[in-house]
Amino acid sequence: MRTIKELYEYRQMIFGLVKKDLRGRYKGSVLGFLWTFINPLLQLIVYTFVFSIVLRAGIEKYYLFLFVALIPWIFFSTAVAGGAGCVLAQKGMVTKIYFPREVLPISHVTSAFVNMLYTFVVVLVVVFIAGVRPSILALLCLPVIMIVEYLLALGIAMIVSAVTVFFRDMEYIIGIVVMAWQFLSPVMYSVDAVPEKLRGVFMMNPMTSIIMAYREVLYYGKVPQLSTLLLAVVMGIVFLVIGFVVFGRLKRRFAEEL
Amino acid sequence: MSIIKVDNVHKKFRVYYDKGSTLKERALFRNRNRYEDRWVLRGISFEAQKGETIGLIGRNGCGKSTLLKLLSRIMYPDEGSIEIKGRVSSLIELGAGFHPDMSGRENIYTNAAIFGLKKKEIDERLDDIIAFSELEEFLDNPVRTYSSGMYMRLAFSVAINVDADVLLIDEILAVGDANFQAKCFNRLRELKAKGVTIVLVTHETNTVSTFCDKAIWLNDGVIQASGKSKLVVDQYLKYMNQELYESIQAQEQRKRDAEVPKPPEAEPPADAASTDQVSAEENPAEQAPVDEDAGKADSNADEEKIDYEANRFGLRFVEITKAGFFTEKGDLTYVIRNGEKAEIRIYYKVNKPLDRYNFGMGFFTLDYVCLYGVNTEMDGHIITQLPDEGYVSFIIDDLMLLSGKYILQVAVVDGNGTPMDYYRNYSFFDVISNVQAVGITEIRHIWKIPE
Repeated sequence: MRTIKELYEYRQMIFGLVKKDLRGRYKGSVLGFLWTFINPLLQLIVYTFVFSIVLRAGIEKYYLFLFVALIPWIFFSTAVAGGAGCVLAQKGMVTKIYFPREVLPISHVTSAFVNMLYTFVVVLVVVFIAGVRPSILALLCLPVIMIVEYLLALGIAMIVSAVTVFFRDMEYIIGIVVMAWQFLSPVMYSVDAVPEKLRGVFMMNPMTSIIMAYREVLYYGKVPQLSTLLLAVVMGIVFLVIGFVVFGRLKRRFAEEL
Repeated sequence: MSIIKVDNVHKKFRVYYDKGSTLKERALFRNRNRYEDRWVLRGISFEAQKGETIGLIGRNGCGKSTLLKLLSRIMYPDEGSIEIKGRVSSLIELGAGFHPDMSGRENIYTNAAIFGLKKKEIDERLDDIIAFSELEEFLDNPVRTYSSGMYMRLAFSVAINVDADVLLIDEILAVGDANFQAKCFNRLRELKAKGVTIVLVTHETNTVSTFCDKAIWLNDGVIQASGKSKLVVDQYLKYMNQELYESIQAQEQRKRDAEVPKPPEAEPPADAASTDQVSAEENPAEQAPVDEDAGKADSNADEEKIDYEANRFGLRFVEITKAGFFTEKGDLTYVIRNGEKAEIRIYYKVNKPLDRYNFGMGFFTLDYVCLYGVNTEMDGHIITQLPDEGYVSFIIDDLMLLSGKYILQVAVVDGNGTPMDYYRNYSFFDVISNVQAVGITEIRHIWKIPE
């Protein structure tokens, strides 16, 4: 609890780091901030080309089916895979000054999250053009799903970033794990494609329910099933708590290890 | 009310012999992960009251910076506890977290945020910070264009305007030019008066005795002494002097030891009398080979052979066999009392007669500042004839040096000043003085006070 109160006091530092990260991201490029929008659009064009002309997937509006899952997935994988090194990268600050160390994973994940929010402008436009008309209630579920995904990503990022300090291979291992994770989550396919027997195991993956929820809102245009949403919320919170506990345990020796 | 309470704090570091932190290294070279625990702090306890200023002193590696890092919560103790009430601001690494591409103004915001300040609080302090840093005109330039002095000034201004209850400072008072330093000190005094508790790590013992109320002297991870800053600093300096003295002596001893293994066969009988440190000196003919054909006047030709860098150098036509302070009974001594009669004798042996002999002596401090140096010719004694062996005396009626350790230099040169036998550092000697004064030498004086 004390950590949370302290983190609240340090909110200015988190804002500062997020701002620094977002501003620095496309620094020096000609299009600058516009890349935040161009990048997902170009991806969309590639996917549309591949999956409606070359590889016919057999799912209606497959490009949209993929797109609404891929953008949240990209946030998740950036937050986790990139998050692994986020304490390591700030070695200079960690060994020299005090601040609640949680600030580092929080600001990393937050900046990836804000980036996803910008991208969602594009997503919503595409959804609208594709003719999907989600109800107001369904759209109101969207922020909830996003926050749950944020909490989940934060929890995992905290664990891996703390472990990476002591065990540098973690950064590379997590890269592979995240790639495999993508194929084990229903990003490119539908859950229906998973054999009945395995579906129970499949739902243990916290990203499964989150992606399903995104898709229900943005592809099917309806309110997600309560059970899906609830499962996502529970898993998000569980991971966050584990993340805080593990991080809190390991952070005491950061300065010595770095 | 104690603001800082440190109770029996222990801290160890793991020192890996050869650390592997990747999976491969860990799996393949299990024995590489051997480490030993090094205890840098062993049972530190102290308290600081509100408004107190504490100086941490001790030589390098004694654990004082580690202690400061524990206080600032960058690291945590392995045993014991540290309690600090209130906001802590540390001036340990100034400017950590500065972003070189951002302007000075933006960096003030990010840096202050690292100290836990909210936007509103920073807004309130912005003017003070800018005014203190004296960087108004550069504030919108990126920090990478700043000189290192400007950089430090900006960082210091932020850290000192945080309004902390506890300020931790590590050796950073060398900020900026003299004026800025004075300003920093004034600011620290102001803060002190306001009731800010300050913990300061520094090697400048002067700062500690004038600025701190209390000092803690750490040695090898334990508190060697603590209490009134002036007293602790005195003890510490005495200890450090002794250390320096011993290390210089040990160095000399090693040098002498290294010279001994040369063939000892030709030890001239004349040297048998020298029982002190000089006894290990070998035959002069070996160290400075003398060209047998060289006449008296040819000493210049041999000058190139002299290694002026050595502690002892010269052509050895005349040789110093022994020197030092002698008591009235004729015993060698290394301790002299201030204000008493003292006699320095330089024992010599003539290997090859010279036209003119010039004996000299000098007193130096341990950091090799010359206090006094003179020779016989400077004093108007032209020596053209000398017995083959004997000693020259330098008699002081009343030695005016203050307490401390000094270096005695002795030399003999010829009429041209070519060194015959020159000891830069012949021996150390101690002066014991009861004079209540500071410095190196006494200056005789009287005071006149208006009625």
